[in-house]
Amino acid sequence: MSRNRELISKIGLRLDGRRPDELRRIRCKMGVFSQPDGSAYIEQGLTKVLAAVYGPHQVRSRQKAQHDACIINTQFSMAVFSTNERKKRPRGDRKSTEMSMHLQQALLSVIETDLYPWSQIDVYVEVLHADGGIYPACVNAATLAVIDAGIPIKEYVCACTASLGNNEVPMLDVSHQEEILGGPTLTVAALPMSGKIVLMEMSQRFHLDHLPKVLNKALEGCKDVKAILDEAVKNHVSEIGSATGWANTTS
Amino acid sequence: MENPICLPGQRLSICDNVYTCGQGTYQRQGYIYSMLAGTVDLVDRNGVKVIEVHSTGEQTVISTQGDIVTAQVYIITQQFAKCYIKCIGSTVLRSPYRGLIRRENIRATEKDKTEVFKSLRPGDIVLARVLPMTEAHSYQLSTAENELGVVIAHSEHGYPMVPVSWTEMQCPKTLVKEPRKVAKIIPENIDTGGIVVDS
Amino acid sequence: MFTTKCFIKKNKIGNFLKHVREHYIRDDISCGIPSCDDCNAEASSHLNEVHLNKCSLFKFEHFIILDTNVILDQMDVLEEPIICNVIILHTVYKEVKHRSLPIYKRLNAVLENPSRHFYIFVNDHHKDTFLPEDKNELINDHNDRCIRKATSWYMGHVPKRHFVLITDDAKNRQLALADNIPTCTITDYVKHLENNSILQDKLSRKDFHSEKEAKDIFPPHLSTAALLKGIKEGVLHQGTFRASKDNFLEGFVSVDGFTEPVLLQGRDGLNRSVDGDIVAVEVFKMENWVSPSEIVLEDEGVSEESIEDVEQKEQALKNTTVQEAEIKPTGRVVGIIRRKWKQYCGIIQGNSEGLYQIFVPANRSIPKVRIETRQAEFLKTQKLIVTIDSWPRSSRYPHGHFVRALGRIGSQDTENEVVLLEHDVPHSQFSEEVLSCLPKLPWIITEEDEKRRVDLRSIDICSVDPPGCTDIDDALHCRLIEEGKLEVGVHIADVSHFIRPGTAIDLEAASRATTVYLVGTRIDMVPGLLSSNLCSLRGGEDRFAFSCIWEMDLQANILSTRFHKSIIKSKSAMTYEEAQLTIDDQTKTDAIAESLRNLNKLAKILKKRRLENGALVLASTEVKILMDSETMEPLDVELKKMYQTNSMVEEFMLLANISVAQKILQEFPDCAMLRRHPTPPASNFDPLVKAGRHLGFDIQVDCGRNLADSLDRAVKPENPYLNTMLRMLATRCMLQAVYFPSGTLQKEDFYHYGLAVPLYTHFTSPIRRYADIIVHRLLAVICGSDSTYPDLLDKQKSSELCQNLNYRNRMAQYAGRASVAFNTHLFFKGKLNDEEGYILYVRKNALQILIPKYGLECTLYLVKKNETTLFEYDEEHQTQRAGDVVFHTFDPVTIRLQLDSSNIQHEKFSVLLVQPAIPGFSVPALSKDDEQVNDAEPVKKGKKRKNIAAKSPKKSKS
Repeated sequence: MSRNRELISKIGLRLDGRRPDELRRIRCKMGVFSQPDGSAYIEQGLTKVLAAVYGPHQVRSRQKAQHDACIINTQFSMAVFSTNERKKRPRGDRKSTEMSMHLQQALLSVIETDLYPWSQIDVYVEVLHADGGIYPACVNAATLAVIDAGIPIKEYVCACTASLGNNEVPMLDVSHQEEILGGPTLTVAALPMSGKIVLMEMSQRFHLDHLPKVLNKALEGCKDVKAILDEAVKNHVSEIGSATGWANTTS
Repeated sequence: MENPICLPGQRLSICDNVYTCGQGTYQRQGYIYSMLAGTVDLVDRNGVKVIEVHSTGEQTVISTQGDIVTAQVYIITQQFAKCYIKCIGSTVLRSPYRGLIRRENIRATEKDKTEVFKSLRPGDIVLARVLPMTEAHSYQLSTAENELGVVIAHSEHGYPMVPVSWTEMQCPKTLVKEPRKVAKIIPENIDTGGIVVDS
Repeated sequence: MFTTKCFIKKNKIGNFLKHVREHYIRDDISCGIPSCDDCNAEASSHLNEVHLNKCSLFKFEHFIILDTNVILDQMDVLEEPIICNVIILHTVYKEVKHRSLPIYKRLNAVLENPSRHFYIFVNDHHKDTFLPEDKNELINDHNDRCIRKATSWYMGHVPKRHFVLITDDAKNRQLALADNIPTCTITDYVKHLENNSILQDKLSRKDFHSEKEAKDIFPPHLSTAALLKGIKEGVLHQGTFRASKDNFLEGFVSVDGFTEPVLLQGRDGLNRSVDGDIVAVEVFKMENWVSPSEIVLEDEGVSEESIEDVEQKEQALKNTTVQEAEIKPTGRVVGIIRRKWKQYCGIIQGNSEGLYQIFVPANRSIPKVRIETRQAEFLKTQKLIVTIDSWPRSSRYPHGHFVRALGRIGSQDTENEVVLLEHDVPHSQFSEEVLSCLPKLPWIITEEDEKRRVDLRSIDICSVDPPGCTDIDDALHCRLIEEGKLEVGVHIADVSHFIRPGTAIDLEAASRATTVYLVGTRIDMVPGLLSSNLCSLRGGEDRFAFSCIWEMDLQANILSTRFHKSIIKSKSAMTYEEAQLTIDDQTKTDAIAESLRNLNKLAKILKKRRLENGALVLASTEVKILMDSETMEPLDVELKKMYQTNSMVEEFMLLANISVAQKILQEFPDCAMLRRHPTPPASNFDPLVKAGRHLGFDIQVDCGRNLADSLDRAVKPENPYLNTMLRMLATRCMLQAVYFPSGTLQKEDFYHYGLAVPLYTHFTSPIRRYADIIVHRLLAVICGSDSTYPDLLDKQKSSELCQNLNYRNRMAQYAGRASVAFNTHLFFKGKLNDEEGYILYVRKNALQILIPKYGLECTLYLVKKNETTLFEYDEEHQTQRAGDVVFHTFDPVTIRLQLDSSNIQHEKFSVLLVQPAIPGFSVPALSKDDEQVNDAEPVKKGKKRKNIAAKSPKKSKS
């Protein structure tokens, strides 16, 4: 029954009133904590994620250290109150481990790791509220936190989900409700400027014919996300600059 | 003129004979891109314009071979002294790195006769140079230069001592002399203001 | 495009979980009115400023805004084209969807029709009309508030236009008037429209203010909350109500906790439940339980007011129903949990005058319905559809309204319509959208087409079909390629070339699933242009085909198989008879004749091999009704003739289907569309085995092979029809063959029992079966001439599709039979015939008799009601004996047939025994003058009858 539910109504609006190619509202803030080297908070619709970055600092475990690059340690966790049902989410369960690995993969692609040999960067993300598109929100938050930490990155890594509504219309940034009702969801993490895809994940089997349009939609979404993050970083930089007066000191 | 703000991944300039990559930038396909969110600086070095990007927040630096670091000794053994690296150059680290000063790296001369406890004591603040990296978990440091060695030390009674020779420091209260590998300090060079001494 | 203004949280509590959803408010939503400058023109808006809604209540031209209750209750009115320029608010639209899916679908159909000028305004996402829910506000009140807000916004937004809010909710109307919104009820609105008489009939009746004084004749229903509480506590029981077909004051409800269904009796017991409703029942204490009455009570009530006759009958019922032995759990309905009211087909009772009429549904388990109509005189001659709106306590009958008339009672068209409706056959005209998918005429074969297909136009291909067939979907050829090696080709119309996946025509065809053949008419699956022209492999015309080509040796062993798309030119489209003549006429030696002869030879070998493998030869009574081409009345009913060529074509189609099935399963192990025929459980064969035993045959049913063999052996020379009848019995033991996607079952379940092949599918009739189109697409992918599309490979989707195909196929089959049955009735109307028949079953009180000539089955009752019987029933041997005469299964009899038309809606045959004569029971044979059959049949029949009489020893005595 739920399979037949229309995700996009006759008038071309989705259940929450968006058009198929619209992202949810993104709000973000950098530098939310003072303790870590970098931190950020992002809201994508109702999905809320905190990210904190520590480092680069000396590696903790000797085995993992690399002589030519820093290692990136990521840890994903979900708050007990993040979903409808309150349940214990022990760290290190299969899902969080997988998420952590995916996140690490995305960050490795942009961080200039060879600048920090023998060292380590820790990225912690915590989902405060989950409403679909958890992974993209985590990636986007981590990107902001890394920038806040002043760690050199090649460019932004942004992520976005896309799915297929009514079996024909690709739609962007699916919410939890749409994830449940709809079919397969494609998650893409990409470098929007160079157009590279870092990670792609499909929640279910999916016909190949649909892939190009859904993928293109997801990449467009990544670009849109990037534009929003750009704006946020710019504001943050100029705010910090004007607050410390530092930006004006050098002629 | 206010320096322009740039964002990570932003293309700053073409990379050619005139412009070249500096700190916080990288080169890709003939262009210079920013790696940080911060302000762009144009530094003229020997006629080549180096583009640098400086982050607004605290710098994260990693000590590399040859850097002068400020460290605090916390354990000594017969063979080595362990210390926390607190500053690299003039940059204060947010979190200390662990460093290791081996007995043979304390002094430049008479390496065999050097005894660790006669050169360094826990709590001492030393200036040291980073040696080439060999193992992961700690940095190898050396004080085997005239300018390197203990700069601040406290006597057994807890009073800051003053250097009296290359090898000794004296407590101004009790006048007890203690052996140290003392750094030759030109006072203007010590920037103690940046050093956090947690005694 | 990123225009989220702000958002609110929407909480939805269920199972004590808090859901938070986003809700975006937009500023780019158009009001849909073409002349509005502020809004972007919305392409989906069909609103039109030229059209006028002519309602005398309002002195101005206006747009209509509807409340939810109007749509839910008055969909039949809204479907009338008089009401146009309607704005459906999204709030309303969502609520309709939530409350009733069928209504929602109908609303969508109206919305999609541009000539109706309907438009959906998304008020709940519009920045000016969005209203947050207040605390302590009921959802209904909130919706009403939104509707009023949207209406007043429209009034302010487009001041030069006028808007009218139609709502049946008095409170909403009052509040709207306070806001200066012009408003009225739908009843008032319709009454003041021009030409309103039809519309008024269609109004659903929910208001009964005029009848307030009437006394309540039904006990009240409990409130929903009380029902739920009762069910939870186990005091009440929930179940589906099934009305008795014979007794309108009796019904049953199957509930959990009782092995037997709970009996409900009398007006109070049934308490306004209608067949199919889900009801809550209270079961009485054991001492009040009664037994079912087993008496027939028909509702003879003529008017709404009087209930005396019912009371009388209730009394009669009470008197009959105290039989200690057979008491059943008894109870009464205390409330209706969900109504399952549908649209009902039937006629007007027709003995009352005035506005109110009583409608008698064709289905006897549905009560009569009171409707209001202004065209009673006309409707009395019609079959019509009525829907129930409500059943108030004070009313003896449920109240309903007229939906539409189907046509004159008893006419061919009307009956066809009824048959189609009853079997849920989609039979509307093809929509514009579907027709627009058709290729433009003149259709030509382009060079590109030629490049992509194998050109077989030079080969002598011919088709063999029944006479008058216009949808020719198969053609054959056969030629000698080298000594001892034949090339045999089956060419199937390439329908999938014209019907592309996902197009409107494809969806329509998938929904129809099959072409339905009724007597005298055909409900096409695809539009006529394709079915009878472009896809039909007509003689002498270039057509696209999908070819399956084998190389065979002379012993019909397949040496190689290949499939490809092709262009063919059939040399000749023959009938079975023509083909047979061509084969038999040895003077003909042209290519076609030669290839037909070869094909025939091969087919015989193939058939023999197939039968050796255990394929069943089953029999059914397929009849053909000859129609008078002008009056469309049946002239004669005859059995279909079979030629060798029928079997020839059939063999090659089977072979093609099997070859294709193997191929597609090999390439698509997960989603190949196959057809299976499950092995019936042994118990299904009991009647067959029993019947065989009485006749001295041992019918083995342990496997298909043995069954086929034992059926072959069961021959009695004196009764040539016996074997056929046994085969018919066997047919009835079988299960339905079904389509399925290969991924859903284990390989051993793929077996086709009837044909005795491990794999089977349908490939050869894409014009009339949708399954074949899917198979074509799969095969085209394999040949590399087409690409896949998502739904084709989706196991879930295929499975859903198969369910629809199976359902539609079954329904099409039933509809076809119903149509034949009706026409047979029509044929017998006014005739009085003596007919040859055979006893098919011997029952306790009757004989089931088959008349092979007409494929007709009828029941000869041996026991009349309230009479003592002459017959003794022997259950052990399945015989009936009356004096010297013993009736066995399969004995020949002669009976007299007459159509009993006393009940227009339920015509039936009255059957009387002629031969063998039993004094006091049988009737004398008709003299020749009485017979009204005007052909030479009686003579032949007479002869036959004598033969049988002579050979049957029992009869010689009588």
